[in-house]
Amino acid sequence: MDNFRNKFIEEATEHINDLEGTLLLLEQDPENKELVEKVFRIMHSLKGGGAMFGFERISEFTHNLENIYDLVRNGEMFVSKDLLDVTLAAVDHLKNLLDDRKSELPQTLDVHQNLLAKINNILESKNAIAITKDINKDKGSTNVTSAIASKTATYYILFQPNENIFDNGTNPLYLIDELYSLGQAICIPHFNRIPDFDKLIPTQCYTYWEVILSTAQPFNAISDVFIFVEDECHIDIHKLSDYNLLENNEFYGFIQQALKSSNDIGIDNLQTLASRINASIMVKEKKTDDRLAVSKENTISSIRVSSEKLDVLMNLVSELVTTQARLSLFAENSNNNELIAIAENVQKLSRQLRDIAFSIVLIPIENLMTRFQRLVRDLSQELKKEVQFVAEGTDTELDKTIIENLTDPLLHILRNSLDHGIEEPAIRVKHGKPRQGTIMLKAFYSGANVHIQISDDGAGIDTEKIRQKAISKGLISPDAVLSQKELLEFIFIPGFSTASNVTEVSGRGVGMDVVRRKIADIRGEVEVESKLGVGTTTTIKLPLTLSIIDGLLVKIHDTFYIIPLSSVDKIYAAEHNKVVGTFNQLIVLDGQQIPFFYLRHEFELEENNAPLEQVIVVRYEDKRIGLVVDSVVGEYQAVLKPLGKYYKNQEIISGATILGDGTIALVIDTNKAIKYFAHKYKVEEVK
Amino acid sequence: MAKTILIVDDSESIREVVSFTLENEGYTVLVAVDGKDALKFLDGTEIDLVITDLHMPVMDGIELIKHIRSMEKYQRIPILFLTTESQAAKKMEAKEAGATGWIIKPFVPAKLIAAINKVIR
Repeated sequence: MDNFRNKFIEEATEHINDLEGTLLLLEQDPENKELVEKVFRIMHSLKGGGAMFGFERISEFTHNLENIYDLVRNGEMFVSKDLLDVTLAAVDHLKNLLDDRKSELPQTLDVHQNLLAKINNILESKNAIAITKDINKDKGSTNVTSAIASKTATYYILFQPNENIFDNGTNPLYLIDELYSLGQAICIPHFNRIPDFDKLIPTQCYTYWEVILSTAQPFNAISDVFIFVEDECHIDIHKLSDYNLLENNEFYGFIQQALKSSNDIGIDNLQTLASRINASIMVKEKKTDDRLAVSKENTISSIRVSSEKLDVLMNLVSELVTTQARLSLFAENSNNNELIAIAENVQKLSRQLRDIAFSIVLIPIENLMTRFQRLVRDLSQELKKEVQFVAEGTDTELDKTIIENLTDPLLHILRNSLDHGIEEPAIRVKHGKPRQGTIMLKAFYSGANVHIQISDDGAGIDTEKIRQKAISKGLISPDAVLSQKELLEFIFIPGFSTASNVTEVSGRGVGMDVVRRKIADIRGEVEVESKLGVGTTTTIKLPLTLSIIDGLLVKIHDTFYIIPLSSVDKIYAAEHNKVVGTFNQLIVLDGQQIPFFYLRHEFELEENNAPLEQVIVVRYEDKRIGLVVDSVVGEYQAVLKPLGKYYKNQEIISGATILGDGTIALVIDTNKAIKYFAHKYKVEEVK
Repeated sequence: MAKTILIVDDSESIREVVSFTLENEGYTVLVAVDGKDALKFLDGTEIDLVITDLHMPVMDGIELIKHIRSMEKYQRIPILFLTTESQAAKKMEAKEAGATGWIIKPFVPAKLIAAINKVIR
């Protein structure tokens, strides 16, 4: 039973999340019947499941809500704000009820009684009986029928029960009834097996039936009708056509004719007729084929897989890619043509496998939107602000682990925007802005990265205040000249804002250091742009996936390094004496002065005597910085492996990867490395 | 008039789940803990459907079905039995004893109602 219980919890959690999303949509469109229907259905399944698996409170709780939405569904009540508020509160409560650790807590029980009372109030007051939307109702029902019509097929069913079918309590008419409930049906009863009156035994069944059924249900649904009586009767089910034949006049007329006579129609006659009609319709409908194809595509099914399994799959694929690289290298060195051919094939296959595997764990950020909408809704109400939440590009896909780690930072940024960004309606009007503030979430691809932007049209951040704060904290000297961007960087310094009242006056800052750290954990970056009085935009740049990167394989001394290709701008060759022994660390490339780091120095290695050095120019913030290495090997797909805990505290190397021959290459985090080197120089200068 | 359904099962949780679901659907529900216990209701009371477990102490489901079929008043009432899918042989035995149909465990309320709708209206 515990197993079922867990299954139910999983199922119910999904239901509840679904419910939350549906309710938010319903708030936008309170007259949408389909949404109400969905809410009702969810309540119903929660109630049923709750009772079955020992969540009595859930079923008790959903029972009345179900009743309410049943009334709404039947047009006897309308969706009020009160109702939505209570239902949304119920959503949170339902989550707690599902959690064994929380369900028995006194506060949960309090909430329970409280909400139950509220729900009862609504049910009793049943305020304002709706007079509206007869039109809507009609529209809804026609939609439904036309949707069914598109997938309907027509079947012929012969149902011939054995004479003693009554003996075990079966009533064949109920089964005919059930067939009728599946779609549009015509039943032709046959009485020709009934014997003369004196030979008739009243407890036996002599009647049999032919049924023509047009239904959108699958074949199984029809055979399931007879599941209890399979052994006690003769059943024949044949498909006649892939559409509703009963709507065809010729066919319908034929059936009506057959109803009058007492003879069996028989499957043969029907099939001949059906194929003739099919042929004539095919010609007419050829043009609509395209449309049918589209609707077929929509039926692509999906399966559920536990995320642990996916993690294992990803690991194995990574290992496979690594091993494959070894195989390729070995094959190349072996001079064995057959082996080379096999290795190439393995390479091709593992590449495809890798791409598919990675696409499996990508999920659209849409999954997060419900939570965000909910936050904006609740918080803006609480803060008495009017805020509209707009999301764009929600179909942008990201690695599952990234999405999981993204939620908290995004919620944090949103909260900041709501709390400190958007002004109160009165103030907004005074400043000539629309009463309602807008928070926009925009996600889009940019190269191998995904950008997520959250912008508000609120008050913006007052950089002058930040500047004052920084001075008073002794972080900068009073006469320091700092750009807007540099000033905004201060909000990412731990403890900078929380110890001040920046947040009270002008803007965000609460825990932005935490946001940056969390985003950095998933190899992302956070940037803030803000204009006083106009608004603030926070941009998060994220890699598409965590476990594999396209890199540039380079060599310094006898060690291989990987520089993420996404940050590489251009590669130059430069004479040795232009990069070694210069005093200002600048090199002129393409007519542009570029600061550089000679990595042999940075890594405390001896200078080499090669005449040419390779300068890899990478992007760092909005600058271009050169990194000088010995040689460039080429592009490389690196499967990232962590370095292990002993190296956890260094930031320059973000991981390692295993090359084809088993050697290790270190992956350089260019941003952190450059920051670290630059800092080192500054410190030296001061000394 | 509400139809009356007799539930026979030795597991309290199943009895509760089934009767909760059925009462919700508007049926009148009678409850017995085993076959022998069920017989006390078969005294002329109007019963429209019997739902019984197969494995029960004192008197099991097969015996109960045979017993019901032997009583004139209940000779042709529908009887559904609860079964797990692995008991194919048991299923045949129950069918031969005169059961109308079965409900596969574990079941969700919708499946239960669907099975009941096949035999009573």
